[in-house]
Amino acid sequence: MPEIETTAAVPSAPADPPQQVEREFTIKAMTQRQLVFRRFFRHRGAMTALVVLGAAVLLAFSSIGVAGIPGWWDASYAEAGQVVSGGPTLDVLPSPIDGDGLQVGAHPFGQDDVGRDYFALTMRGMQRSLLIALLVGLTATVIGVVIGSLAGFFRGKIDAILMRVTDVILTIPLLLTAAVVGRTSDGGAVSLALLLGLIVWTSLARLVRGEFLSLREKEFVEAARALGASSTRIIFRHIVPNTLGTIIVNATLTIASAILLETALSFLGFGVQNPDTSLGKLISDYQTAFQTRPWLFWWPGLFIVLIALTINFIGDGLRDAFDPKQTRVRA
Amino acid sequence: MMTEHSGSTPQVPDNSADNSADSSKAPLLQVEDLTVRFPTEDGIVNAVRGVSYCLAEREVLGIVGESGSGKSVSSMAVMGLLPRSALISGRILLEGQDILKMSAKQQRSLRGRRVAMIFQDPMTALNPVYTIGDQLAEAVRSHAAIPKKAALARAAEMLDLVGIPQPKERLRAYPHEFSGGMRQRVMIAMAVINNPDIIIADEPTTALDVTVQAQILETLLEVKDAVNAAIILITHDLGVVAGMAHRVVVMYAGRPVEIGTTDEVFGSPRMPYTAGLLGSIPDLEATVDRLTPIPGAPPSLINLPKGCPFSPRCPLVEARCVDVEPDLQDTDQVSHLAACHRWPLVSQLEDPSVIFTPTKVGSL
Amino acid sequence: MPVFVLRRLVVSVFILLVSSFLIFFLVANSGDPLGDLRTDTSPNREQKIEHRIEKLHLDQPVPQRYMTWLGGVSKCAVPGLGCDLGQSVRDQDVSVLLSQALSATLQLVTAAIVLSIILGVTVGVVSSLRQYSGFDYTITFTAFLFFSLPVFWVAVLLKQYLAIEANDWYDDPKIGLTSTVVLSLLSGLFWGAILGGKRARRWIVRGTAAVLTAGLLQYLSAVEWFQRPALGPALIALLSFGTAVGLTALLAGLHRRNVLYGCLTTAAVGSVVQFPALNWIEDSTWASWTNVGLLALGAIAVAAVIGYFFGGLDRGPAIRACVLTALFTGAFMVTDILLRTVPSYSQKVNGRILATTGAETPDLNGTFWQNQLDQITHLILPTLAIMLISFATYSRYSRATMLDVMNQDYVRTARAKGLTERTVVVRHAFRNALIPLTTLAAVDLGVIVGGAVITEKVFARRGMGSLFVTALDQVDPNPVMGFYIVTAVSIVVFNMLADIAYAYLDPRIRLS
Repeated sequence: MPEIETTAAVPSAPADPPQQVEREFTIKAMTQRQLVFRRFFRHRGAMTALVVLGAAVLLAFSSIGVAGIPGWWDASYAEAGQVVSGGPTLDVLPSPIDGDGLQVGAHPFGQDDVGRDYFALTMRGMQRSLLIALLVGLTATVIGVVIGSLAGFFRGKIDAILMRVTDVILTIPLLLTAAVVGRTSDGGAVSLALLLGLIVWTSLARLVRGEFLSLREKEFVEAARALGASSTRIIFRHIVPNTLGTIIVNATLTIASAILLETALSFLGFGVQNPDTSLGKLISDYQTAFQTRPWLFWWPGLFIVLIALTINFIGDGLRDAFDPKQTRVRA
Repeated sequence: MMTEHSGSTPQVPDNSADNSADSSKAPLLQVEDLTVRFPTEDGIVNAVRGVSYCLAEREVLGIVGESGSGKSVSSMAVMGLLPRSALISGRILLEGQDILKMSAKQQRSLRGRRVAMIFQDPMTALNPVYTIGDQLAEAVRSHAAIPKKAALARAAEMLDLVGIPQPKERLRAYPHEFSGGMRQRVMIAMAVINNPDIIIADEPTTALDVTVQAQILETLLEVKDAVNAAIILITHDLGVVAGMAHRVVVMYAGRPVEIGTTDEVFGSPRMPYTAGLLGSIPDLEATVDRLTPIPGAPPSLINLPKGCPFSPRCPLVEARCVDVEPDLQDTDQVSHLAACHRWPLVSQLEDPSVIFTPTKVGSL
Repeated sequence: MPVFVLRRLVVSVFILLVSSFLIFFLVANSGDPLGDLRTDTSPNREQKIEHRIEKLHLDQPVPQRYMTWLGGVSKCAVPGLGCDLGQSVRDQDVSVLLSQALSATLQLVTAAIVLSIILGVTVGVVSSLRQYSGFDYTITFTAFLFFSLPVFWVAVLLKQYLAIEANDWYDDPKIGLTSTVVLSLLSGLFWGAILGGKRARRWIVRGTAAVLTAGLLQYLSAVEWFQRPALGPALIALLSFGTAVGLTALLAGLHRRNVLYGCLTTAAVGSVVQFPALNWIEDSTWASWTNVGLLALGAIAVAAVIGYFFGGLDRGPAIRACVLTALFTGAFMVTDILLRTVPSYSQKVNGRILATTGAETPDLNGTFWQNQLDQITHLILPTLAIMLISFATYSRYSRATMLDVMNQDYVRTARAKGLTERTVVVRHAFRNALIPLTTLAAVDLGVIVGGAVITEKVFARRGMGSLFVTALDQVDPNPVMGFYIVTAVSIVVFNMLADIAYAYLDPRIRLS
């Protein structure tokens, strides 16, 4: 606010007659979507995470290429080669502190026991892990939203049946299903992802159902119903947009946990099977080599942590953006 | 920032001229040039910008204004209940002692004992997991070392005072077993249980059924007389204020824009905003068939326009309104203050609310 | 309420029936239980195969086999009939296998879960009260990091680095200059974040904490405390009095003098009693959990009496605070004994005091306290691994719940009544935050019976998880089904307990 002179002198001759002075109101109406975007983009943690994750994804897909398109990294993840020294040649420490200055070298992440370039292998593993995580998130979200919204909207018998189905799914140990599917399918990343997606939708279904149960009683839904809107229209035009926050946040967090779930399953031998690979499978393949080649254990682990951490932060930013209740102190 | 207020105290109503106050001693509560600002990510919100008023013993002071006008925030400052992030300046004198200068411990010992508060929504203001008796007894025991039995007896007495039947049995009830009106009675009982000097009632009836509102206000007045307390009644309902308050403070954009006795302010407003508020009340005997609303919306408290904050909505706006924010100043009536450059014009109108009727503007 | 529970029970039994059949079907199709025998080359191969087919009823179609299995299981519900969960392919009774695995799992998981609940909730509440402080940001980041760590990756790292490093260090336990500086700085930051306050005060706290830590570390190192660790009577007394003050501040507020004096008296009694008590419990012929438990009961009784007499108007909080003071004092004594057992234990295990595999050192033949210490050293690493995620969950959840509750109108009402900040936070806010927290904890406890599959595998402990994975690997249907039925029943039971706890904590639920 500018300094205001306390003398009540009338400024000379305003250009317009005072009655017609149109001053802009400083309250600008913002749509819900604008508010969400603004809050998200102001979330420092989430934005940093988004940049880091973006860089990691770019690295994974541009380096070794994808779907036949070659990348800028020459070494192949499949071809065995001569083991030079085995250890990582990547170095960022300058020479005074025990390093050789910034250099990438022929095998920045080292080589495995048969001489495959571990950088290429890790990038390949990251591609497959990201694919798995995305697929799990997508499958689980679609199933969870459909089941949850049907149960919450129609209530009664449909709700009872769907929720009992959910309860049954919840009691089935994940490992068991993974073992059965692992033995009967090809053990590839895609089939594993679909399987996980088919199991982990239950919590989202319950959340969506809860939101539907409360939203369907709201005035704007009653108004739509009074105007003769069909059930489909009410669900998709009026209720789903209001549950988007829950759905998006949950999908994000599902993706983060799917990365870890795949890792755990691969470690126990129920995850991705040869010839396909993933970050989890890399660690589990080389866990016995820990004493001799520790880098084979480090790199995929670091990238798993990186991906899971950034996605968790993005999820947190999204939750704050959609539901600012927790983040603001009430005035 | 608040240069136009600092150093000048004409906006403080002269106590000796206050017909309801005991002129021999300091007023019970005197708020001087209170400002409250909240830092937010969008900038600093100037929630209260230089509020001054005083409250005499047993007086009922109404504070009226739209939501966001700073009426609740200024009274939360009196309670010491603002969040830690709030930047507060000015003085709040309770019998001459500045509350803002007190230690947290001293402030706490005032809350609920000398200054009590009743909140807007009785449905959420009581803790759901404790019985009514527990919550009332706790209020007593936080200020006096007495056995729980004695505190519960006092609680039953208060429930009886606010008109809750079978008070002894009701002590064991949980809040969810009470209706909204009953819960607000419990809140009133909780407010007066320590014989406070001031009760701040923040929209006490807004969340209630229309049928219950009158009963609650009635109870509030009875209880006030029983414990000899003064009331600060915060509301946007002019009808409630007209029926209860001795004096009125009208607030707009974080500042008082008109202060005076209820009769003066409502009978002959000196500020177009007040006139506009009065014009927006439905009147059963009205001759005109439409209400005259105030156009526009209150300004954002982050970037206040230069000049009078009401000027963008004011039909009587002229050049100096846009440039200079008016101070509260004396008007033609005793103890009636208004912050308006054009109060002389408003005072000439028989029914000032006509200025908001579009056809009339041109003829002024 | 009983009707509600009964209905839940019926629905649960129905769900269990459906899902058990589904799982039985999946297990039956998960592989060939005769697989290992088909490649067997011993002369009695045919006999073995026949024996197994008969034992596992492989000649029956799956639905009939399920009914047979169900018949055996349903006997468990009626006491006296004897439980029949079938046999494993190695001819072991599944019920025996399960009870062994279950006790091993409970031993492994209980401490981890209890610790993460206590730590997680405390840290979550503190960080919600200091929202947007350095402490809050650190905890948030730590929690997210823990969420993002693959458990087995961390477990292997803990095993490789923490255990080996710690054991190597213990060969000659001295704290060097670098470690002292780093630890002191960390301690300074930690206490600065915990105690908070204005900038100047925070720097004073940081500096004091860092200097004290450095001094303490150097002192301990100089007097060879790490070779012969112990608390000693003076420190036990000091800790006990400190606990008395802390508990009073937390449970009643320091201005309630009668509570404070009660707790201090309890601490004084404890400080005196420690001399005979320590002699008793250290005596290896006397020491047993029964006797230690009896001592604890005695301490509770004495403390309750002290609290009753000192309590005055605040009898309830006084008794609670005194009893807790007494229990903490007892815990300090047990800690003291365990610490003093370290040197003799260290000799028995050749100085490798931080164990990395199994649940106990084989053929230890130690005294009572050596055996306890042995189990504890085996629990440290797996407990850390399990705690990572649980701690993160509880700290995030309790932070969110507390933030939500602290913004409720009734908390504002409590403040407006003039209650102290302690009463507002503990009695009004935290009591309400407990409702969802208890529900979460109850559901969580139901799940842990399933064991920590990965942790068990990395640290070679034979709990429920490893039973399940091994059986899956070997295509051994009965242990898999046994595992399923135990975990599923425990989930159902604990979910029901969660509902009951919910109704108990939230009066709004009681009527409906």
